[in-house]
Amino acid sequence: MNLNDTQRRIRWTTVAILVGVSILLSVLDSTGNLDLLFGFMQDPLTAVAGWTSSQTDTLADALSGPRDLDEARAEIDALQTQLDALERENEELREIQGEWQILQDLFNRARQTPELRRQTANVIGYDTSPAVRSIIIDKGSDDGLRVGMPVESARGLIGRIFRTTQNSAQVILITDNASAIPVRLGTSRATGSLKGRGATGDLIVDWIDLKFQLELGEAVLTSGLGGDFPQDIVIGRVVQIDRNEAELFQQAIVQPATDFDTMEIVFVIIDFNPIDTSVFESPTEN
Amino acid sequence: MTVSIYLAIPLMLLLGLVETAVLPHFPILGTTPQLAFLVALAWGLLYGVEEGAVWAFFAGVFTDLFSISPVGVSSLAFMVAITAVIWTTQALPASRLLLPVALAGLATVISFIVELVLLRLFGTIADFQSIILLPNILLLHILAILPIYWLLYFINRTVRPRRVQL
Repeated sequence: MNLNDTQRRIRWTTVAILVGVSILLSVLDSTGNLDLLFGFMQDPLTAVAGWTSSQTDTLADALSGPRDLDEARAEIDALQTQLDALERENEELREIQGEWQILQDLFNRARQTPELRRQTANVIGYDTSPAVRSIIIDKGSDDGLRVGMPVESARGLIGRIFRTTQNSAQVILITDNASAIPVRLGTSRATGSLKGRGATGDLIVDWIDLKFQLELGEAVLTSGLGGDFPQDIVIGRVVQIDRNEAELFQQAIVQPATDFDTMEIVFVIIDFNPIDTSVFESPTEN
Repeated sequence: MTVSIYLAIPLMLLLGLVETAVLPHFPILGTTPQLAFLVALAWGLLYGVEEGAVWAFFAGVFTDLFSISPVGVSSLAFMVAITAVIWTTQALPASRLLLPVALAGLATVISFIVELVLLRLFGTIADFQSIILLPNILLLHILAILPIYWLLYFINRTVRPRRVQL
């Protein structure tokens, strides 16, 4: 056996070991055996991600700001430093105004359904995999968050808690294509199952009986069936109806009320206990 | 390889943070590039299969830490893709311009498909609709690989000067 053969053998052994470790990690994580380690590693990282995200958010806001900001900058460059200070002050006020608007929307949302207790949380990260849709928020099990709790924005439902660590949580969005939520349509009162369409960001309501005459623009709300979500949380509006008399069911394409790319603050509904319906799924022997 | 691990771990951690907290604020074509994957690929093209696989492993681990996908899935997808494309370089003519671009495209397709299949196996996704994002990611990766590859190439040339025979 020459040196080349030995090197090749070492090389492929390394690759094989790494593949084995990856498979082992995947199996352990998907069976929940890595949660402790995951939480231990993710807590400090989410703190860093939160700080980075807030700094980047400010930068992104400044870059996408109104055009008069650019004009003001041109004047500052050309004229005097006094305007520089005014511009900074103006930017701070605009930021405060934006935050105030978000908080007012959230307050209004909370006032509409006072029976539900909510925990506010900041969005500090987005899923790194293009195949799945989730966000990371800066509240975790120490703040009372548990897996399965519904999460909403000021405009409507966005998803539910998928995994928690002490100080952060991952929220699987309703646009993820693994998400399925029982819903009711506002005007026709039709019920169906709302599914995410992943990458497109659209939602689709499936299994709607043909006897219902759907209308474009009607609101889509949670039905509360299945016990995973409270009733009547707004999700979006119907923008397209796919009805074929030859089929048993019709479908509706839904535009979500929330812009999932610009979320900054979300609500976690913390006093809603999902109802365990698994007892009805398998009939008893006798 | 031992030394490169000490570089790979903090670098991939940093790139994971950038991918989750910075890049989503500046989406291009509705998506963001997977920087950790591209760096691992470029590193593998420069230093060979073994180094590429090790970097791909850490790139995947730190990608999955900020994702709801099971830890290890991205590692597996990245390693399969990077190992496969570096292996094919033996049969391709050497080029520092076209080769990285072509291999980035090929590796992106392989990694995306392998990841989707694995996520489907682990029950994380219900169907393969995310594949419609592939053309955008492919384009982004093809555009991003050259600066990354050339940066690492020049660092490599600076840190490890080529041996010459007198």
